[in-house]
Amino acid sequence: MQTTASSSLGAAQQTASVRAPGPARPYGRYIYLGINIAILVFLLAPIAIVVVFALNPTPFIQFPPVGVSLRWFEKFFASRDFMHALWFSLEVAVLTTVSATILGASAALALARGNLPGTRLIVATMLSPLMLPAILTGLALFQTYVLIDVGRPTWGLVAGHTLVTLPYVVRTTLAVLHNFDTRLEEAAQNLGASPLRTFFEVTLPLIKPGVLAGAIFAFIVSFDQFPVSLFLVSPGNETLPVTLFNYLKFDLDGTIGAASVVSIVLAFVVVIGLDRTVGLRSYVKL
Amino acid sequence: MMKAFGPLSRRRFLTASASLSIGTIAAPYVAHADDPTLRITGWGGKWGEVMKAEIGPAFESEFKCKLQTDSAFPYLPKLQASSRSAPIYDVLHTNSNEQWAAAEMGLVEPKIDPKLVPNLADVYPYAISDKIVGVSIFTSAIGLGMRTDKGYSGVTSWKELWDAKYNGVRGGYVIPVNSLGQAFLMMCGTLFGKGQTDLDAAYTALEKLKPIKIVDFTGAMEKMLLSGEVGMCVIHDSGIYRYDGQNQPTDFVSPSEGVLSLEQVLTITPGSKMKELANAYVNYMLRPEVQKRLAETVWYSPANKKVKLDAKYDAKLLTTPEKVSKLIQVDWKWYNERKDEIDQRVNRIFRA
Repeated sequence: MQTTASSSLGAAQQTASVRAPGPARPYGRYIYLGINIAILVFLLAPIAIVVVFALNPTPFIQFPPVGVSLRWFEKFFASRDFMHALWFSLEVAVLTTVSATILGASAALALARGNLPGTRLIVATMLSPLMLPAILTGLALFQTYVLIDVGRPTWGLVAGHTLVTLPYVVRTTLAVLHNFDTRLEEAAQNLGASPLRTFFEVTLPLIKPGVLAGAIFAFIVSFDQFPVSLFLVSPGNETLPVTLFNYLKFDLDGTIGAASVVSIVLAFVVVIGLDRTVGLRSYVKL
Repeated sequence: MMKAFGPLSRRRFLTASASLSIGTIAAPYVAHADDPTLRITGWGGKWGEVMKAEIGPAFESEFKCKLQTDSAFPYLPKLQASSRSAPIYDVLHTNSNEQWAAAEMGLVEPKIDPKLVPNLADVYPYAISDKIVGVSIFTSAIGLGMRTDKGYSGVTSWKELWDAKYNGVRGGYVIPVNSLGQAFLMMCGTLFGKGQTDLDAAYTALEKLKPIKIVDFTGAMEKMLLSGEVGMCVIHDSGIYRYDGQNQPTDFVSPSEGVLSLEQVLTITPGSKMKELANAYVNYMLRPEVQKRLAETVWYSPANKKVKLDAKYDAKLLTTPEKVSKLIQVDWKWYNERKDEIDQRVNRIFRA
């Protein structure tokens, strides 16, 4: 015997089965897209302003711009100080990336596999440069170099940059090691591979996403590093951010914008270059 | 009998060529390996360009030394962090307020010995007054900068900056970090109170100055004036005159109450191992021809009385005793002793 509820349900089901499906209303999707666009605009708008400033022919910030001129780029590329600073920053960033990647990845492996006493404390210590104001790190290193009477050598600057970029490599490498299946290494060794060969042919390819992500962070953070560099650069060997800071104390013109645009383009080139050579798409997820 | 040199083989030729090449490349370094190095601080911008291109190399050539210039701020914390017996600089070049702070900490010698720097005898009295540590090699005049295309006329006094017609286009500085702002604060005490040290009068005056656009760097103020964002501001004369010949609608006003001095000061560090060279450098920077070159590059008023500038610079800069007498020197020692308290108060006044 059919009850009222079941008969209603049956009627509803019948109605549903004969009703033609209507068009989907993707409001949620539009809202989600809108939020993402708003975030992108918020993040990229300052870059757009910098580009406008760099191309504006007037010697001061003006909006809307009165024209398009490459004079500030000419001034930037013709400046011996800026060009030296640019190459020096690149040199320091590359050296920092290499040192931070080797040290950071090694440290992460030791922390993940080594069963070390006080692992959490060691991890916290390795990540602590991120929590300290970088200017204090720079000042402390400067005083240390003065105490040991080494002056302000380039290796000292690279060491300072490595100190503040190491946490990025450690963190990203630890993240991939967390999900790493150690049985793969055991299988390799069971099949006769030496520990070194196992590391290069099994472990490293699998942790490459984390190591590479950390390396990219290390490069960008080093290239843009300012507070640590402020104390550790020596006369004639100043990084680009320090040179820009000194320049704008005396002259605030579009050359600053041009230098910023060059830095942004450089970052794009690095990321695109890595994508073309190593392929970054599969490394987006960590 | 000794054999003479044997026939020249390819190996010997290549070895000799390589040695000669290495020697040629290394020769300058070898020749200058024993050259002493004088470590100084220096500004960037046009000052830095002329120092690097002309003044510095001429000094190096004459005194057979190397000049190592640090133009990366900040100077004082680095000097403070370095050892007193091996300071990071031999000669410190900075503004008077920082020099006083350095002197109070014992980082620089308070006075320059006139026997070791003979050109001190030719400087204006302000350059070695009791308001100066070391010696002032140049000064700028802090006064009012204004747009000439906005119909502002008859501006003769500091007090006109408070006129309501400049609301919205008035420019000043973040006082805790800018020497011009600090000097201006002391001027407010003179204008509206009993003198530079009348802080209550100065604070009241600053309150009445709002609304005002404030910046930390003088370069930023120059740009705001050029863009028209600011129509009337506190600025030093070189910040206006350096745009001479560029057809900019800006002008400098020397207020009737006087202009504040923004001195470029040199001091020598007590722990310097290059005292003789340091004194030679200070003396060199006071030479009339060096002063003329730098003054005409950056529009600074030279401290040496014997400097003869070209007509267009002479007309505007402080190059006579009469013009120099308008300079008001700030008591930086007094200001620095109270800086923390002043900073806290002005931060409250200008809190956004």
